[in-house]
Amino acid sequence: MAKRVLMSGNIAAAEGAILAGCHAFFGYPITPQNDLLEHMSRRLPPLGRIFVQTESELSAINMVLGASAAGFRAMTSTSGPGFSLQQEGISYMAGMELPAVIVDVMRAGPGLGSIGGAQGDYFQATKGGGHGDYRVLTLAPASAQEMMDLTMLAFELADKYRNPVVVLADGFLGQAMEPVAMREPVAELPGKPWAITGARGRPKNVLNSLELEPADLEPRMQALVQKFEMMRQNEVRYESLDLDDASMAIVAYGSASRSAMTAVHMARQEGLRVGLLRPISLFPFPYQALSDLAQRVDDFLVAELSFGQLVEDVRWAVGPNHRVELVNRLAGVRLSAEEILEAIRKMAR
Amino acid sequence: MHEEIAIAGTGGQGVLFAGRLLAEAALLEDREVVWMPSYGAEKRGGSVYCNIIISDERIGAMVVVRPHAAIAMNLAWTERFEPAIKPGGLLIVNKSLVPRQLKRDDIQVIYLPANDLAAELGDDSAANLIALGTLISCRPVVSPSSIYAAMDNMLAKNRKRLEFNKRALNKGLEMAPAKISPTTSSSARPHPRATSL
Repeated sequence: MAKRVLMSGNIAAAEGAILAGCHAFFGYPITPQNDLLEHMSRRLPPLGRIFVQTESELSAINMVLGASAAGFRAMTSTSGPGFSLQQEGISYMAGMELPAVIVDVMRAGPGLGSIGGAQGDYFQATKGGGHGDYRVLTLAPASAQEMMDLTMLAFELADKYRNPVVVLADGFLGQAMEPVAMREPVAELPGKPWAITGARGRPKNVLNSLELEPADLEPRMQALVQKFEMMRQNEVRYESLDLDDASMAIVAYGSASRSAMTAVHMARQEGLRVGLLRPISLFPFPYQALSDLAQRVDDFLVAELSFGQLVEDVRWAVGPNHRVELVNRLAGVRLSAEEILEAIRKMAR
Repeated sequence: MHEEIAIAGTGGQGVLFAGRLLAEAALLEDREVVWMPSYGAEKRGGSVYCNIIISDERIGAMVVVRPHAAIAMNLAWTERFEPAIKPGGLLIVNKSLVPRQLKRDDIQVIYLPANDLAAELGDDSAANLIALGTLISCRPVVSPSSIYAAMDNMLAKNRKRLEFNKRALNKGLEMAPAKISPTTSSSARPHPRATSL
């Protein structure tokens, strides 16, 4: 068994990125992800890799764009206010078909909000938070181990689809320390014949997102749409817990899913047949798994640290003939297993 | 085994370090563990909290609402922990800074003069480790040898501090109620299960 090391989610994400061959990190400090950036500042230079603390999140994302265009695995990490600033660059990278990894350790908002953990960036991270027709793959870790594993997967998928990938964590996951089984470093990185590396001995590569002639832009955009469709077909990830005989399903991701897991155990002890579906990919969202589940489960309870964002996708997936209710806390307030259990009891009555 | 523990006090008292040691020790015993700090505008003199969950099973909720055991290093956290501890649980109160008797009679309360004991050893900044020693003596969630090993790992570069910290932990282990003679002033004890050191 791999050696297990106690580390915070933020550090686990940083170490996962290093294992995945991240060559360049650009970022600007913001709580609750500061230790990720700080860790990278210590770890990357001795490895001969690049760390730049930029003057803003906006310049960080554009440096990621540049490093990615040059063929390097590159990333940034931030939290809500910085993630908003980066949407422009993410849209450009989607349009230019550039891989990148963005770790968003969510805090409460809108605006500056507070530094407590929350999940309010859900719409922004899953529906294409910048301008234009695009999607980013969005992965939602629920433990320090997954902070490492999904960050590594994010680099792989970013290269596979030539598209930005968001690792959507929250302040609780970023700060909590848990045992992490160390992974092997990625041995070989994929070739990038499209990268701008100097055109000696080959035709020049052009990477841009501008195409003024509609007749030329439309096929490019249709190719993007096809790519997003491939993601929907191939990259759905979720975990099921105690759903086999369930008459009620909780849907939750990230740190909220951890409380939901405990609530399921408590409810089972009271004889309530409750299970948990935990989306791991938020885009693509496990619509099919949920609509299949809706064939045999009556009630759905959505637990989230936002004001009713995830619940919209669940309602869409299960249709109008099911009860879908919401239990949530906002503003950096924790959502306890006991609160979820109370909502389960209420719904079961 | 599934044990939820909270440690809290004032910034600079070593609350996070004590919790981290406990979590590292649990990992050395190959258990599942979560160490969750409060975070925010933490600073020396501010309020600091962490909770540790140690389990043989995969751990769900990361935030503890009703701990089985807690260490309150100051008055504010004594007041917050008293109603929160699970019945049958344990609350260690830092008597050096908390001149108060608690009302709950369904939990074990230990009034531990952690700062005074640490000062006797030569440095009252080790009050956290004295309290940790008493905690694991009363509720053996990890063995002392695992705490020693965790200290060896975390303080490898500071042998002097390491040895001192071990002495402080030992002092705390010795202070567990089973190992001390009953207090002479029984009037100071609000209920049979409370132990004043």
